[in-house]
Amino acid sequence: MGIGGTGCVNIAPWERGNLAKPQMELDPHPLQSELQSHNYSSREAAPSHKSSSGGGGCGCY
Amino acid sequence: MPPCQGGNHQLGALEAPPVKSRNTLHALTSAALVLPGLLIIPGHATGKDRINFQYSRYQEGERNLYGAPSLKPISADVLHGSGIFSLTDRTKFSFGYTQDTWSGATPVTTTPLATDGGNRPYFNNGVVVGASPLLQSNVLLDRDLNPIGRDPITKQSLGVVDTRSVMVMSSASPETRRQATFGLSHEWNEAAINVAGGFSRERDYKSSFGSIGGRLDFNQKLTSVKFNGGYTHSEIGAILDHDSSPYITKTAYLPQIVSRGGSEILQGNRQDWVANVGVSQVLSKNALVDLNIGYTHTNGFQENPYKTMSIIFIDPAELNNGQSDLITGKVRALIEQRPDIRNQVALNTKYIHYISPFNAALHLGYRLSVDDWGVNTHTFDANWVQPLGSGWTLTPRIRYYSQDAASFYRSYLFSQQVFQKQAVDNLGREIFFNPKNPNEQYFREGFFNYVDQNGNLIDDALSRELQAKFISFDAGKLPENFSSDHRLAGFGALSGGVVLSKMLAKGVALETGFEYYTRASSMQIGSGNNSFADFDYYVANAAIKFDIEPTTSLPMGGSSGSSQSHLHSSSHHHHKIPPAGIMFGHMLDKPGDFMMGYRFMYNWTGGNMMQGAHNVADQTIVDQGCSDASPCRFTPTFMNMRMHMLDIMYAPTKWMNVMLMPTFMDMDMNLRRLSGAPPPVPGVHEHTGAAGHETGAVGDTYFSSLVKLINIPGHRVHMNLGLSAPTGKVDIELRRMAKIDGGLIHFGMQLGSGTWDFMPSLTYTGEKSRWSWGTQLSGVKRLEEKNKSGYRLGDMFQATTWGGYDLTHWLTASVRGAYTLQGAVHRDFDVFNARIGPMDFPANYGGQFWDIGLGLNAIIPGGRFAGNRFGFEWIQPVRNDFNGFQLDRKGSLAATWSYQF
Repeated sequence: MGIGGTGCVNIAPWERGNLAKPQMELDPHPLQSELQSHNYSSREAAPSHKSSSGGGGCGCY
Repeated sequence: MPPCQGGNHQLGALEAPPVKSRNTLHALTSAALVLPGLLIIPGHATGKDRINFQYSRYQEGERNLYGAPSLKPISADVLHGSGIFSLTDRTKFSFGYTQDTWSGATPVTTTPLATDGGNRPYFNNGVVVGASPLLQSNVLLDRDLNPIGRDPITKQSLGVVDTRSVMVMSSASPETRRQATFGLSHEWNEAAINVAGGFSRERDYKSSFGSIGGRLDFNQKLTSVKFNGGYTHSEIGAILDHDSSPYITKTAYLPQIVSRGGSEILQGNRQDWVANVGVSQVLSKNALVDLNIGYTHTNGFQENPYKTMSIIFIDPAELNNGQSDLITGKVRALIEQRPDIRNQVALNTKYIHYISPFNAALHLGYRLSVDDWGVNTHTFDANWVQPLGSGWTLTPRIRYYSQDAASFYRSYLFSQQVFQKQAVDNLGREIFFNPKNPNEQYFREGFFNYVDQNGNLIDDALSRELQAKFISFDAGKLPENFSSDHRLAGFGALSGGVVLSKMLAKGVALETGFEYYTRASSMQIGSGNNSFADFDYYVANAAIKFDIEPTTSLPMGGSSGSSQSHLHSSSHHHHKIPPAGIMFGHMLDKPGDFMMGYRFMYNWTGGNMMQGAHNVADQTIVDQGCSDASPCRFTPTFMNMRMHMLDIMYAPTKWMNVMLMPTFMDMDMNLRRLSGAPPPVPGVHEHTGAAGHETGAVGDTYFSSLVKLINIPGHRVHMNLGLSAPTGKVDIELRRMAKIDGGLIHFGMQLGSGTWDFMPSLTYTGEKSRWSWGTQLSGVKRLEEKNKSGYRLGDMFQATTWGGYDLTHWLTASVRGAYTLQGAVHRDFDVFNARIGPMDFPANYGGQFWDIGLGLNAIIPGGRFAGNRFGFEWIQPVRNDFNGFQLDRKGSLAATWSYQF
């Protein structure tokens, strides 16, 4: 509900400079996070971090 | 989420130029931002066209085997390439390729440390040199079922209770997995849709997957709702380890096991359905939050077919006999049994805050997942993304993870029943049967008398054929599901790392990352008790990324700009390039020019075995292909070699270029027993089963300088002075099997030369109107007497000449002839190699080869991808004269891509 409330914030386009910076991207290092999640999912039992992209293979080691 | 009124209002104001702007700058900025595709969607990549290459190395530390010698820990080499391209202003195509090769020792089961098996050391001249996994063993127990300890090396009983567990490790020869993915996305002003799919292939596991997803933006893109659904189908065909299979109890899987080529293959399949919904919300001009909830439903075969559960069978008669002395439990390994259904729900939250004083961003994440196996997990992570100026960015990160054990996880199990006992009838007589006629039962009376069902004595000849009938344990008395896979245990893990990236000029970025990870059962929230499974690993990786921005490569700007003007502007530095199979064949012209390329080479050998230029019979190979002391027993049936090379070229001056080529190689081959081969000898390596061998990792690295000697209109000559650095491994081993070391894998399956090599070449190219031609002399001279495994590859000389004709202004066809002289391997392995076939003997390498190449070169003349070059060439052997005994050459393929900045 808190999100619903803040959904109405107004930030003009010229105020979005910081949000547009590369360091503010949801995933600033996609190559790194892909690699990390592959390693984690072969060593941990949580659902694959990138399960939406599918794949993965056995990790039978 | 309903759109906000304020958002609609703001959007309306933006569609017409804002009249209430506070100053001109704001007006200009906002006008620019409403151009299609430019209004920033917070938190989403701006979607530049890009190509990435990444190499990473995963290395585990040694497991704690309590004094037993540790086997080589698991390592994996991973090569990744991916790209995203704009097909139109709003449609993008993406692809990815990942290849990983792993090897090393993996846990196959867990047992009490106190068994007389487990990691059983083996000795050479009284010194412990390794350990073999012994899955079947005995353990002494007191009446409370506490194990009585043994020395881990001598296996002598120590007489005191020792409740520690240990993982039993088994080493594996290298194996490779390949995965390809494809995606298509389309972007509207306030929505996006994407479809993706791909497949992953490894010898024992094949999966295909597809997904569809989308995004809807509201509230002037301050709110985005995302959704995604995916499906994965996987087929398992696990080749059960030939060595350990006789010691594994597979009764639960018998209907799923088939026999192929001398191997037992456990088959299964599984399906995964995934659904995610999420929302990204900008909270302020410095903060945003991202929430996702995902559901995964899996059914089918979810076991790891190579992991077994150690079950300690105790005879209840012995346990309950009223005595107090020690009893013996029989440890038996059963393939693990997981539930066929799993439902998982994961909640992901991420908060990102811009830290003004540092121009940095703090990323905080928390993830909760729960499932019906009882594995509930918590993950906390924090990243600090710190730009440092001059294109540098440093990102330290830390992560903590904790999971509860699956409800069916146990390090090992007890079962109060006999594993196997001889069947007796109701008179107490032991039951026998005739293997030739299993339905007929016989009974033993007294010591040596056997009677049939009618009580008649049978004759001696028949009684000698009889076998005792055994009754196995009752599987119904075991739990329905059990696994000792330490990944299903409860534990915590702490990891930390750093990512450093540097943006170079011309849209080239370098990135490197390092992470150290440590798992400890004591770090579990609530604390666990499986510290025997603790381990650590590190991952190091390096990546190079290229932005291919159509707007900057087109002088007119915009995709609709005249392609003719681009052609004109670019044609002066695009000389015709040689066929794809030629290396170091062209140079850059202008100081400061930079070229990035990728080169793939595939080499196929197969079919007949050859001696010199002719087919050869098996018996000849047996007699002559190896050595008098050990005749050949095996021969290759095929071998594939694939080479991936990055081609990075820079022109510091007009007359000299420098070049760097990291390579990544992978190979696979299979063997067959030669007809007429001598029978297996105890203690000598055998190749058994349906599986071949695979290797793959970093190969040798080439670097060179190219010097222009002649450059007159229509004629160019340049010289290449190159060196090859021995970065590829030459000491890859086959795993130890059947108590016999595999030794180093064949010369041809090692990944590099192992020596520093000098690689000179001289190239002449000419062109006139639609015709082009050229010739190249090249060589490889090994600069060292031997590599660290004791041998060196032969030197090589090649002469080639070609002619090309422009079919259109962007497509050139070429024909090429090549002669290659390759020396045999010099010296020999100075470490153990199994010497089972001709590929293990140095004289069976090299020869003289005559080849014809048919090629196509294309340069994309205009549009978004203007300037990208592609080349393909098929190289067909015409005549071969092999040294010694070798597999026939079937041909090779060269494919190249390059782009000049």
